Amino acid sequence: MSDASNIVFRATGLTKVYRNGALEVHALRGIDFQARKGEFIVILGPSGSGKSTFLNIVGGLDRASGGEVWFEEHQLTALDEAQLTQYRRDHVGFVFQFYNLVPSLTARENVQLVTEIARRPMRADDALALVGLQDRANHFPAQLSGGEQQRVAIARAIAKNPEVLLCDEPTGALDSATGIKVLEALTQVNRAVGATTLVITHNAAIRDIADRVIRFADGRIIEETVNATKKQPSEVAW
Amino acid sequence: MVISPLRRKVLRDLARLWAQVLAIALVLAAGVATLILGNGAYASLFETRARYYEENRFADVFADVTRAPRALLGEVQDIEGVLDAEARIVKLGLLDLPGMVEPGSVLFVSLPDTGGLNRLYLRLGRLPEPLSAEEIVISDGFAAAHRLGPGDRLPVLMNGKRRELLITGVALSPEFIYALGPGQMMPDPRRFGVVWAPRAGLEAAYDLDGAFSNLVLKLAPGASTDRVIEALDRLTERYGGAGARGRTDQISHAFLDAELKQLWAMVRVLPPIFLLVAAMLVNMTLSRLITLEREQIGLLKAIGYTSRAVAQHYVEFVALIAVVGIAIGFAGGAWLGVGLAQMYARFFTFPYLVFTRDPQLYGLAAMITLAAAIAGALYAVRSVVKLPPAVAMAPPSPAVYRERATWLRRLLNLPQTGVMVARHLLRWPLRTASSTLGVAMAVAILVASLWSFGSIDRMIDITFFRSERHDAQIVFGTPEPLGAAFAARNMPGVMVAEPFRQVAAKISHLGHEKTLAIMGRPAEPHLSRVLDPVLRPMPMPEAGLILSEALADALQVRPGDRVTVALQEGRRATVTLPVSGLSVGYVGLGAAMEIGALNRLMGEGALISGVSLMIDDARTAEFYAAAKITPKTEMISVTTLMLTRFRETLAENITVMVTVYVVLAGIIAVGVVYNFSRIALSEQGRELASLRVLGFTNREVSGVLFGELATVVLLAQPLGWLIGYGIASAMAAAFSSDLYRVPFVVQRDVYATATLVVCAAALASAWAIRGRINNLDMIEVLKTRE
Repeated sequence: MSDASNIVFRATGLTKVYRNGALEVHALRGIDFQARKGEFIVILGPSGSGKSTFLNIVGGLDRASGGEVWFEEHQLTALDEAQLTQYRRDHVGFVFQFYNLVPSLTARENVQLVTEIARRPMRADDALALVGLQDRANHFPAQLSGGEQQRVAIARAIAKNPEVLLCDEPTGALDSATGIKVLEALTQVNRAVGATTLVITHNAAIRDIADRVIRFADGRIIEETVNATKKQPSEVAW
Repeated sequence: MVISPLRRKVLRDLARLWAQVLAIALVLAAGVATLILGNGAYASLFETRARYYEENRFADVFADVTRAPRALLGEVQDIEGVLDAEARIVKLGLLDLPGMVEPGSVLFVSLPDTGGLNRLYLRLGRLPEPLSAEEIVISDGFAAAHRLGPGDRLPVLMNGKRRELLITGVALSPEFIYALGPGQMMPDPRRFGVVWAPRAGLEAAYDLDGAFSNLVLKLAPGASTDRVIEALDRLTERYGGAGARGRTDQISHAFLDAELKQLWAMVRVLPPIFLLVAAMLVNMTLSRLITLEREQIGLLKAIGYTSRAVAQHYVEFVALIAVVGIAIGFAGGAWLGVGLAQMYARFFTFPYLVFTRDPQLYGLAAMITLAAAIAGALYAVRSVVKLPPAVAMAPPSPAVYRERATWLRRLLNLPQTGVMVARHLLRWPLRTASSTLGVAMAVAILVASLWSFGSIDRMIDITFFRSERHDAQIVFGTPEPLGAAFAARNMPGVMVAEPFRQVAAKISHLGHEKTLAIMGRPAEPHLSRVLDPVLRPMPMPEAGLILSEALADALQVRPGDRVTVALQEGRRATVTLPVSGLSVGYVGLGAAMEIGALNRLMGEGALISGVSLMIDDARTAEFYAAAKITPKTEMISVTTLMLTRFRETLAENITVMVTVYVVLAGIIAVGVVYNFSRIALSEQGRELASLRVLGFTNREVSGVLFGELATVVLLAQPLGWLIGYGIASAMAAAFSSDLYRVPFVVQRDVYATATLVVCAAALASAWAIRGRINNLDMIEVLKTRE
C-alpha cells in the first residue's frame, strides 16, 4: 500500500447485520479495506457475498452495524442522515445495473440534474463527451439503447467531479460488446477525473482491467490481487 | 365457505390500499349523502306539505276586503270552479304582554267552520266555545316562545282596546307553516303569533257584525285559478277588495316553495359533482393499480383465468369501494337529514315532518353511485381485457416523453427537477386535467355556497342602512289624515317622522300584471328611501312611478314606458302612468311615487297609511309603550329587532351550512390530492429514490412531488372560481322570486376563503404522504428493474 495521505477510503472491522424478525443475516463479517486516490478496483463475488452491502455503506446509502469507515477525513459511520446525503451529493458518483435515469429528462438534462446541485461540476456536455454521447444529448432514455443509457448514467455520475465513483454491476444488464463500451467509458473517466473507482461485478473477465481485484465471500474479503499490468477493456471478452 | 384466491386478493388489496380506498369512498359517500339528503328532504317537505294541505283543507285562493256583508259569500260560492268558500275575519292586533317591552303583533283569524277550510291541527287543549268572546287558540311557535298554554291569559290590544283573552288550546295551521309577521323578514315567534278566535268575538271587537274581511276559497280540481280570481275580484271590488291571491302568492306557501327550489337545486348540482369526481378518482387509481399488477394479470391469464374473470376481479375491487362509500353515505345522509329536519323545525311549523326513509331512494342512490364507480373503472378494466398474457409478463415499454414548450421552460428558467414536474404532468394530460377539475370542483362548491352570505350582507346593507333607514314604522289600521304624522312626531323619543301612503294596486304592461302596494313617499324622503342602481337616493317624481328592478323585469318595462295602474282601494281609479326610473330592492316587488301624486289619484285628500320614524336610542322603551296605546296603531315594526332576528337566524344556519360545505369540499380536495399524490409517488418512487441516491435531500425530493401537486392545485383555483361563479349565478337566478331577490355579488373574500380551505386540505394530504417520501428505499430501487 502507498502512503497515508493518498488513502481515500479506510474501513476497519466493518460489519453489517440485517434483522428480519428473529432472523439475523450477517451481510458483512468484519471488513478491513483501503483504497488509494485514483485507484480502479474491481470487486468480485457471488450473490449474497456482501459486496453490494459494502458498496452501499461506502457510498453513504446504508449504515454499518459495527466498525468504522473513513472517507478522507470524514468518518462515514458517524454521520447522520442529512450528512450522508451531503456526502453523496459532494463526493460520490453512482452507476447502477439498471441505470436509474429519470425517464422524463433527456440525456443532457439527466446530467444537469447533478451539475445543478454540485459544488464544482464540469459542463454537462463535457461529461457526455467523455462517454462519447455528445451527439445523443437531446435524447430521452427511452430513445437510447441500454449501453447508451448506462453511459449517460456514467456521465451523470462523473459530472460533479466526484472523488469516488461507485459502480454496482454496471454491465450486468448489457451484452458483451455494449458492456465493453461501458467499461471503456469507466476507465476513461477514471483516468480523466482521477476518481477512485469501485466496480462490483459477477463477471470475472473484467478483473484484468483493474489496478486491484478484491474477492468477497460470505461477508468477508477472501482474496486481494494487484494487477501488475492492466488490460484495456477492448482486450477482455466474456 | 371457501373464498377464491382472487376474492381474497380483492380484500387484501382493499386493506393494503385502505387510505386511497377510503379517500375515494368518502367522495362517493358525499355523493350518496347529498343525494339522499336532498331528495329525501325534498320528498319529505313536498309530501308533508301535500298531506298537511290535503288533511287540513288548505285553501287555493285568498282575498282581503275592507268589509263585505256575509251575504256575498253565496255569490262567491257560485263562481264557477269554486268548491267551497269561507268568509273570515282576519285582523291585526298588538301584543301587550307584561315584561315584553318591544312591540309584537298578533293576527286574529276567525275559527274555521266545522268542515271548513284551513282547518287547525290542535296540538294542545281544546278549541274555544263557538260563542265565547274571550276563548282563543294560539299558534304553536308563539306559545312556545312565550311559554303559554291552555289556561293562560293573553293580553292584547284589539282595535285599540285592551283585552285579556283565555287560551284554551295551541294549534297549527297550513296557512302559517312559515309564520311571517307583517313587515318581518324571518319568522319571529316571539314577536308574531296567530290567534284563532270564534267569529262572534272578532265581529264585535272589529265592528264587523254580519260582515267579513277575508275570504278563502277551495277550487274544484282543474279549475282555473286566474279565472276564479278574476270573478272574485269583480265581486269584492265594491267592498274594498285589494285583489285576490292564489297559493303562489301566499306568503307561507311561497316560502316553502322557495325552500323546495333550493333543495332541488342542491340535488341537481351537488351529487353529480361528487359522483363525477369519484369516477375520475376510480379511473386514476385503478389504472395505476392495473399498471403495477401487469405481470400478475399476465400470469393469471397464462395459467388459464379468462380475461373476463380477471376484469371481474378489478370490477369487484371498485364495487367494494363503492359499497364502503354507499354505507358511509347512507349513515351520513341519515345523520344530516336529522340536522336538516331540525333546521326546518326552526323555520316551518308542521304538525309532523316525516323524513322519508324510502328504501327506493336508498336503492336508487346506491345504484347510481355504484354505476358511477364502475363507469370510472371501465376504461381501466378494458386494458386488462385487451392485454395478451405474453405482453403482460414482459415489462411495459418505457414511458415516452417529448420536449414541449421549450420557450416556456426558458422563460421560467426551470431547474431539472422543475422540468421533471412539468413533463410528468404533461405526459398524462388527462389525469392532470381530471385532477385539476376535481380540485376545481372543491373550490367551486365553496364559492357556490359561501357567496350567499356576502350577498345577504349586501341585501341587509342596502335594505336597512341605505334605503329603509328608519328605526321604526307605525302602520295605521285605516288611512289617517296628515295630522297623524305630527302626532307621531310628538310621541316620546321620536326625532323625525316621515309619513307614507300605501295603496294596493294592480300594475300591468303588455299582458303582464302584478298586484302590490304602491308606496307614496315625500318628494325628498329621508328615512324610507328608494335607491337607483348605483345606490344614490332617488327623489320621488311629480308624476310617474319608480319601479323596482324586479318589478320592471316582471312587467318587462323600461324607464319611459307607460304602465296601467288599477288602484284597488277607494274609488278604484285606473290610470296610465309613466315609469320615471328603476330602483334596486331585494325584498318584494316595489313601486313608489310622490305621496301627493298618489293621494291625488285616490281623490280622498291628504291621507297617510303610516309613519316612518327615527327614534332616540335612549328612549325606545318609552316609545314602544306609547306607540302600543295609540288607538290608530295596527302594527309597529322595529328595524333593529327585525335585523337582530334576521342575523341570529342566519348566524345559526351559517355555522351549520359552512361546516357542511367545508367538509364536503374538503372531502373532494383531500380525495383528489391524496390519490393524485399516491399515484404520482408510485409512478415516480423509483426516480425520486434515485434522486436521493444522487445526493438530493428529502426536502428537495419532496419538492418534486409537491411541485406537481401545487401545480394542479394552483391551476384548479381560477377554474374553480369560474365554475363556482357559474353555479352561484345560476342559483341566484333560480332563487329569485317575487318575495325576494338575491343580489348576485361574489366578493373577493369568497374566492379567498374557498382557496384557503382547499389549499389547507391539499396541504393536509401532502403532509400525509410526506412520510412515504422520506422513507423511500434507496437500496431497493437500485436492485430492481421497474
